[in-house]
Amino acid sequence: MLNLVSPSNIYFILEKIIKFINSIFFLILLISLTFALILSPPDYLQGDSVRIMYVHVPSAWIALACYTSIAFLSILNFIFKIKNFFLINKSIAPIGLLFTCLAVVTGSIWGQPTWGTWWEWDARLTSMLVLMFFYIGYILAIKTIKNESFAIKISSIIAIVGAINIPIIKYSVDWWNTLHQPASIRLTGSSSIHTSMLMPLLLMLLVLLLYSALIFLMKYKTEIIRMKKKNIKRL
Amino acid sequence: MITNFISMNGDGLFVWLSFGVTIFACLVVYIKTKKTLNKYEKEFVEEIEKLSVVERKKVLEKSKIATQVLTSQSKSA
Repeated sequence: MLNLVSPSNIYFILEKIIKFINSIFFLILLISLTFALILSPPDYLQGDSVRIMYVHVPSAWIALACYTSIAFLSILNFIFKIKNFFLINKSIAPIGLLFTCLAVVTGSIWGQPTWGTWWEWDARLTSMLVLMFFYIGYILAIKTIKNESFAIKISSIIAIVGAINIPIIKYSVDWWNTLHQPASIRLTGSSSIHTSMLMPLLLMLLVLLLYSALIFLMKYKTEIIRMKKKNIKRL
Repeated sequence: MITNFISMNGDGLFVWLSFGVTIFACLVVYIKTKKTLNKYEKEFVEEIEKLSVVERKKVLEKSKIATQVLTSQSKSA
């Protein structure tokens, strides 16, 4: 069963998926941008600045999803010692860092017209900044530690410790009085966002997810080739 | 109408800046990732070509990935 998830078996599927994503990406991007920038209505309170939500919210969701995956795979790696999980984590981490930075930067840009400030040390913003530092620590551990098994151990510890921050980010707006608004979209219960705004938000999420998948597949492919190159004599 | 679309009732700077930063950052990461992948594929092919004929044949028989990379590199060349 585990043989099915070996890099050699996965490699052949990667090329096909990359080609598929490349073929549909620009069409979906164009449709999403049309909805986000033209067709969606301005907010009654925030006006047109609400459109920042269409890049800010999906970025934050992807950042959290990436970190959760890294932490989960790190735990599995500790138990089952499957090197492939480390390769997957190594490929996910830069995507997570990119979207954490984007969530922080676009959030800051959104803060200026909405709150009148670029930055505030409130619970949600600070916990997102902490997530960014965990990502940086994780990537630095992989890049700077030469001994691979030690790098896997240290990076896994960072990922697992940092996972404590994920529920803090999620519930920070409920636990503390923050400038940041509470969640408008709930998986359980009713969402307080109108369909005319939910639709572009989901479309932009799809675009950024496709982009993330594309980057992940290319990075994962690079990791597989790097590994094969190192062991070329043993092939 | 176009001016209204660009200015977005005074919020244009913030909206365009957010979308601009996002698209720019994503584009930079995409180009960098693609370049790194191409570099490693090229280096891998060079390593295979350095091998003796017997070793190369052995590698290509054993590793489907090596065959795949070699084929894709020769197509793009």
